[in-house]
Amino acid sequence: MATANCWRCLGRPSTHRLLAPSSLTSFKAPTSVAAFTTSATLLAKDDNSFSMKGHVRTGKRLVLGKKKKGRGDRSKPPGPGERKAFRKRIQLSNDNALKVSGLPELEAQKLVDPAAVGQIVSLPTDLVDQLRTVEAFKPTQNWGLFRSPHMLVRKDTVDFLGDLTKRVGNKETVRTVIGGERGVGKSMLGLQTMAAGFMNKMVVINIPEAQDLVEARTDYSPIPRTTPEQFSHPSYILKLMQAIRSANEEILSKEIVKLEHIHLPVSVSRNSSLASLANATKEPEFAWPIFNALWQELLQPGRPPIMFTLDGLSHIMRISDYRSPSFNLIHSHDLALIRLFVEALGGKTHFPNGAAIVGVTTKGNSLKVKSMDKALEQAAADQAGLPIPERDAFYAKYDERVFEALKGVKVFDVKSISKPEARSLMEYWAASGVLRMRVDEKTVSERWTLAGNGVLGELERASLYVSRL
Amino acid sequence: MASKLSPWGACRSLTIRTRSILQHGQRQTAVPFHIARRGLADNTTSRDPPPGSDGALPPSMTGQSSVQQSYTPPPPEQFAPNWLNADAIANLEKVAAGEDLYDEDVGLKFGKLDTLPGKNDHLQKRYPEVIDQVTKLLMRDGKLSKAQRDMSLILNFLRTSSAPKVSPLRPLLPGAPPAHTLPLNPVLYLTLAIDSVAPLLRVRNMKGMAGGGNALELPEPMAARQRRRVAVMWILDAVNKKKSKGSGRAMFAHRVAEEIISVIEGRSTVWDRRQNVHKLGTAARANLNHPALLAKRRK
Repeated sequence: MATANCWRCLGRPSTHRLLAPSSLTSFKAPTSVAAFTTSATLLAKDDNSFSMKGHVRTGKRLVLGKKKKGRGDRSKPPGPGERKAFRKRIQLSNDNALKVSGLPELEAQKLVDPAAVGQIVSLPTDLVDQLRTVEAFKPTQNWGLFRSPHMLVRKDTVDFLGDLTKRVGNKETVRTVIGGERGVGKSMLGLQTMAAGFMNKMVVINIPEAQDLVEARTDYSPIPRTTPEQFSHPSYILKLMQAIRSANEEILSKEIVKLEHIHLPVSVSRNSSLASLANATKEPEFAWPIFNALWQELLQPGRPPIMFTLDGLSHIMRISDYRSPSFNLIHSHDLALIRLFVEALGGKTHFPNGAAIVGVTTKGNSLKVKSMDKALEQAAADQAGLPIPERDAFYAKYDERVFEALKGVKVFDVKSISKPEARSLMEYWAASGVLRMRVDEKTVSERWTLAGNGVLGELERASLYVSRL
Repeated sequence: MASKLSPWGACRSLTIRTRSILQHGQRQTAVPFHIARRGLADNTTSRDPPPGSDGALPPSMTGQSSVQQSYTPPPPEQFAPNWLNADAIANLEKVAAGEDLYDEDVGLKFGKLDTLPGKNDHLQKRYPEVIDQVTKLLMRDGKLSKAQRDMSLILNFLRTSSAPKVSPLRPLLPGAPPAHTLPLNPVLYLTLAIDSVAPLLRVRNMKGMAGGGNALELPEPMAARQRRRVAVMWILDAVNKKKSKGSGRAMFAHRVAEEIISVIEGRSTVWDRRQNVHKLGTAARANLNHPALLAKRRK
C-alpha cells in the first residue's frame, strides 16, 4: 500500500504541504501538481481518503454508539394479497396420505338416512367444486391431511337435514340457527347443509365469513333512494354473485327471467336465463341492483328453493364498523346484503318455493352479543315448550333489531359425537395413515374421553396432532 | 419393598369376626370369666340375667362362687365360609408354595399398564423426546403454548408437503427410511433432519494453553441432546434469515418446515456449518497431545 507521504520527497512528510496545491485545483487533474512527485496524489482516490474536510484519519476514528447501517432487504416484497392468500389457503388433498378405498360416495339420501349414521362418505368431485366455490371449506379444518375430502355422517346431520329437506320439500321456510359448543362441528354441519342443498337442487347462497361484511374491510357505498339509508358492498356482492352463478350454474341456466327489469343499468331480455342475469355485469357499482333483481327473480313462484347460509352469526348482530356520510356508525342490519339475510331469517320475506335460511354461530371467533344470546335462549325455550326466559331488567343495551331478526327461529344444538361415530372416524384416520396407533375399543374410548366426551374438534386435536395445537 | 414371600399380603385380605378376636384372650386362664364376657355391654337391648347367677348383681358382688368354675375353652372358630376367605387362604397357600402373590391383576380396575413406567418417566414426558426439546427451543418469551402450536404446524406442513429428494452429496444418517415414507411420519422426518445435520463434536478453546496467550483448540464429543440443540439453533439461524412471505400464525412454522425439508434435501447452509466444525475439529485433533495438555493431565 502506498503511504500518504511521498518517499522521495525531500520535505518533511507533511500532509498539509503535499495536499494544499492539489486541493486548490481539482482532483480530476492531478497532473497539475508539481511533477516532482508522482505517486501519492496520483494514487489517491478522488473522493474521500484525501479530502480536506474533517480529520485525515477520519475513517479510523473510533465511533461508539452508532449502529452499522444495514444493507436492507433487497428481495422482492410479497405482492398485494399474497400474504392473505397464504393465510387463507385451502388444501383439499394430500398425496402423501394413503388412499382409503371402499368408502361410499355421498348421495342426497345418505344425508337423511338414519342407517347411514356413523359412515364415512367421500365427497364427489362436482360437489367439492361447488362447495369450494361458495367457500364452504374453512382454512382451519383439516382437509389437507387426507388424500381426498371425506366426511362423517353423524346423528346430528341426519336429524337436522332430514327435517330440513322434508320441510323444504313441502315448500315451507326453514329458519334455523345452528349452535353448540366450540369445536363441536357447527361449520361442518353448515357444509353438510350446503351439500344437501346442492344435491337437492336448491339455489345455494353462502356468506362464508360474516365478519368480512361488518369490519370495514371491503368497500361500501350508499344505495340511493332508500329510507333508512342502506349500504351495499359493491365488490363483495359482485364476487358473491359470481360464486352463486358458478356454483348453481346447472339450475340457474334453466330458469328464465320473468320480471321486467327496466330500472337496471344493464339490459336484461325476458328470455335470458338467470345465470346470464347473474353474469350481466363486471362492474362493482352495478352489483347490488343486479343482485337484488336476481333475488327478486328467485322469489317468484315456480323457482327452485333457496338455501341461504351465513357463518359467524354474532358478527352481524351488532353495530358495524362502517360509517355513514354523517359519520355515524351504521347498524349491521342497514347493510343491504345482511338486511336481506336478516329479513329472511326473521321471517319477513315470503318464500313461495320453500327455503332454508341457516345461520351458523361460531364460538372460536365470536363476540359476546347479549341480545343474540337472549334471543336464542328464548327461541330454544319456546321450541322446547318451556317458560320463556325474561330479559335482564338491568341491561339497557338490548337491541330490538336483533330480537326482531331472530323471531321464531329454531335453534339446533350440535352435540358431541358418540363412541361408534368416533370409532369410524378414527378408523378412517388410521386407514389414511395419519393416525399411527391401533384403533380398538380402549383407544377410542380414551380419545373420546380426552376430547371432552366426543367434541369432534378436540378429538382431532387429541388424535391428529403430535403436539398440542 | 416387602419380600415376596411375606405372608402379610395374604393376611391383609382375611376377614375375621371381631368377636373371635376377643375370644382369643380366653386362652389366658388368669383372666376372670366375666371379663371375657364384657362383649355383652355392647348389646343395648334389655335381657334377662344369665341363668346361673342370682338376681341383678354380678357374681363378684354376691360374695359367693369366688372360686372359678372349671373353664373349658370353646372350639376355635373357623373362618367364616365366604369367598374372601377362600381367596385369602388360597393366597396363603401360594405364599407357602413360594409363588408370587401378585401374578394376576387382582384388584386393578383397568388392568396393568403394558409397559411399566421407567424410573424417570412422568406424566409430562408425553411427547417424543426430540419434539419436546425442539418445542422448548422454539419457545420465545416463555410462551410454551405458542411454541407447541408452531411445532404441530411444522409437523403438519411436513406431513402435507411432497416427499423430499435426498441428495447423494449430503447423506442422511445410515439406516434412514426411504424418503417417500417420511411425510407420513413427520416426527421421524424432523428427527432425521436434526440428527443428520447435528455436529458430532464441538471445539473447545482452552484459554492461554497454546502459549503466548493463544487458546488451545480441542475437539470434544457431545451428547445426543447437545448435538440436537446445536443443530436446531443452526436451523433457527437459517430460518431467521429467511424473509417472511405471509401473514398469520402459520408463517413461522412454514419457514421452519421449509428449512427442515431443505436440510433433508441437502440444500441447506446448515450443512456447511457442520462441515466447518468437523474440519476444525479434525485439525484440532493434533492438539490432543499438546504438551500443555499432557502436563495438565499429569497433575
